Amino acid sequence: MNIRAVQNGFVGEVTGIDICKPLTSGEVAGIELGMDQYAVLTFPDQPLTDEQQVTFTANFGELEITLAGQMAKPEERRFQQLELGDISNYNGADTTRLRARDDKRRMYALANRLWHSDASFRAIGAGYTLLHARILPRKADTQFADMRAAYDALSPMEKAEVEDIVCEHSIVFSREQIGFGDYNAGHEEHLKPVPHRLVITHPKTGRKSLYLSSHIGGIVGWPVPEARAFIRDLTEHATQPQFVYSHVWRVGDMVMWDNRTVMHRATRFDDLKEVRDLRRTSIKGVGLEVKHAMAAE
Amino acid sequence: MSLSIRPLTLSGFAGEALGFDLTRPLTRDQVTAIDAGMDQYGVLIFHDQHFDDETQMAFSRNFGELEVSSGAEMSKAQDRRLKQMEMADISNLDVQGKLRAASDRMRLTALGNRLWHSDASFRAIPAKYSLLSARTVPGTGGNTEFADMRDAYDALDDATKTEIEDLVTEHSNAFSREQIGFLKVDYGEENQLKLKPVRHRLVRHDTSTGRKSLYLSAHIGAIVGWPVPEARMFIRDLTEHAVQRRFVYSHVWRQWDFIIWDNRTTMHRARRYNDLTDVRDMRRTTIRGDGVTVAQIQQAA
Repeated sequence: MNIRAVQNGFVGEVTGIDICKPLTSGEVAGIELGMDQYAVLTFPDQPLTDEQQVTFTANFGELEITLAGQMAKPEERRFQQLELGDISNYNGADTTRLRARDDKRRMYALANRLWHSDASFRAIGAGYTLLHARILPRKADTQFADMRAAYDALSPMEKAEVEDIVCEHSIVFSREQIGFGDYNAGHEEHLKPVPHRLVITHPKTGRKSLYLSSHIGGIVGWPVPEARAFIRDLTEHATQPQFVYSHVWRVGDMVMWDNRTVMHRATRFDDLKEVRDLRRTSIKGVGLEVKHAMAAE
Repeated sequence: MSLSIRPLTLSGFAGEALGFDLTRPLTRDQVTAIDAGMDQYGVLIFHDQHFDDETQMAFSRNFGELEVSSGAEMSKAQDRRLKQMEMADISNLDVQGKLRAASDRMRLTALGNRLWHSDASFRAIPAKYSLLSARTVPGTGGNTEFADMRDAYDALDDATKTEIEDLVTEHSNAFSREQIGFLKVDYGEENQLKLKPVRHRLVRHDTSTGRKSLYLSAHIGAIVGWPVPEARMFIRDLTEHAVQRRFVYSHVWRQWDFIIWDNRTTMHRARRYNDLTDVRDMRRTTIRGDGVTVAQIQQAA
C-alpha cells in the first residue's frame, strides 16, 4: 500500500491495495494512520459493490444510520439498508427517472452544497465518511476544507476567543439557510439542536481543529444573530482557497474523510438532466464523547 | 483645484480622491468630475472631510434626491438619535449616545450589515450612491469591504452569463435578517408592509458606461420561477464568486474619511469590531436611483 500526497498534509491518494477484498489488520492500521496524517484519502479504481463498501467501512468502527433515510418514508427510499446513504438524484427506487425540480428530497439535498461536517447534528457526530462514485455527470466536484490548518491559522487572540465556545447544531439550521423546512411528521427528536464544542482535539493526533458546520444555528450564551454572523465569518476564514481541496471524481473512486477535522460540500451540476450516483457510508465519531458530555453540562 | 484619483487595487476598482473640500459648495464641473470618477472606479475614498449632518446632506444633493433612511423609517421618533430622516445612523449608539447593549434589537438587526449587500435593494427604486462619513472610528476592526460587481460579471463563463441574463430576483430586508436569525416578526407589526419583497433584474446594464454588473445582495430571498432552496443556493454560489478577494477592496477607516459607492455596481459589508466597548459612529446619506430595474407585481386592488 502506498500513499502519495495530493495536497500537502491534507489529502493522500492510496494505491496498491484492493479494498473490495477483506483487509488484513495491518492494512486497516495503515489506512487509519494515513487518515490521521492526512484527513482525506482517495482510493482510485475500486469497483465496490454495496456489500463490499459496508464491509470495508466496518473495519473502522460502528456504522451510522443516515438521517435522510431515517426521516424518509419507506417508499421514498432507494435502499432499505439504512446504513447506505443514497447520494443520487434518482427518484427513489425508480431509477428510470430523476427527481423533479420541486421534489422535496431534492430540496433537502441541495443543502449539501453548504460547507458541513456530516452528522454534526447528532450528539456524537460522524467520524469517517466514505463516498463511492458509481455514475458521474460531466462535472460535480466535492470540496474539502482542512479544519486543522484553519484553526492553526487563527491569531492567538482568535484562538482564545473560540476555545470554550459551544455551538448548537441541528439539521433544521442548515436547511433553514436555503428556505427548506418541509420535514415528514414524527421526527421532532431528530431536529432538536445538540451542543458541540467549536474547538475539538483529535483523540489520536492531539491536533486541534474547528468543528464548524452549516448545521450550526447558535452559540450557547450568545444572541442568535451575533452567533450566526460570527460563525459565517469563521466559516469564510476556514474555507479560504489555501485550506481547500477540490476532488474531481472518476467512476470507481472511493473517498474517505474525517469529519472531526474536515468540512466538505457538493457543487452544482445539471441534476435535472444528468445522473450522479454515489453511495455513502459513515462511522460514528469515537473519541469525542467526553468533550461532548462536558459541552452539554 | 482639480480632482486627482489614485486606484487602490490592481484591477483599478476603488480610487482615492484628492484635491476637493467636499464640505464647501461645489461647482458643476467638480460634481461632473466626481460622477465620472464614480463611473470609472465604483468607489471613491476622500480623506479629511469634516462634515456635519447639514453639510453632508447639502453635498449629497449634488447627485440626486436623498432617500429617507430605512432604519429611521422603521423606528419611532423618540428612538432616533439623528434628527434628519435622510441621515442613516450607522453607529452602535442609542438615542442618549450610549453604547447599545448586547441584546439590543437595533444592534442585532444592524449585524445584518456584515453580510454582503447593496444598499436599499429592497426598494422598488433602489439606491444609486451611498455616501458614508466616519465621525468616530473604533480602535480596531470595523473595516468596510467593497466588491466590484462589474468585474465579477465579466469573469463569469459564457454559459452562466446566458443562464442569468434574464433572471429576476426578489429582495426584502426580511431575507437578509432571516439569514442571521433575526425574524420578520421582530420588526414590529407597523413595519410588515415595508418588508414586502420587490423585484430586480439580476444583471444590470449601466447606461453611463455600457458595462453589465451583477445586482446581488443579502436581501435576495428568491428567484422568480425557481424553487426557493434552489434559488438561495444559486445566489450563495454566485455571491461567493462575486466576492473573491480579487474583486474586493477593504477599507481601514480613519476619522473624517468619506466614501461614496455606487450600489448599482458594487456590494459592500461591514466587518466585526468590539462594538460593546468601542464607539463607531458613521453617518450615511443615500441617493435614490433613477427607476425600477424591472416591472413590479401590481398590488391587488
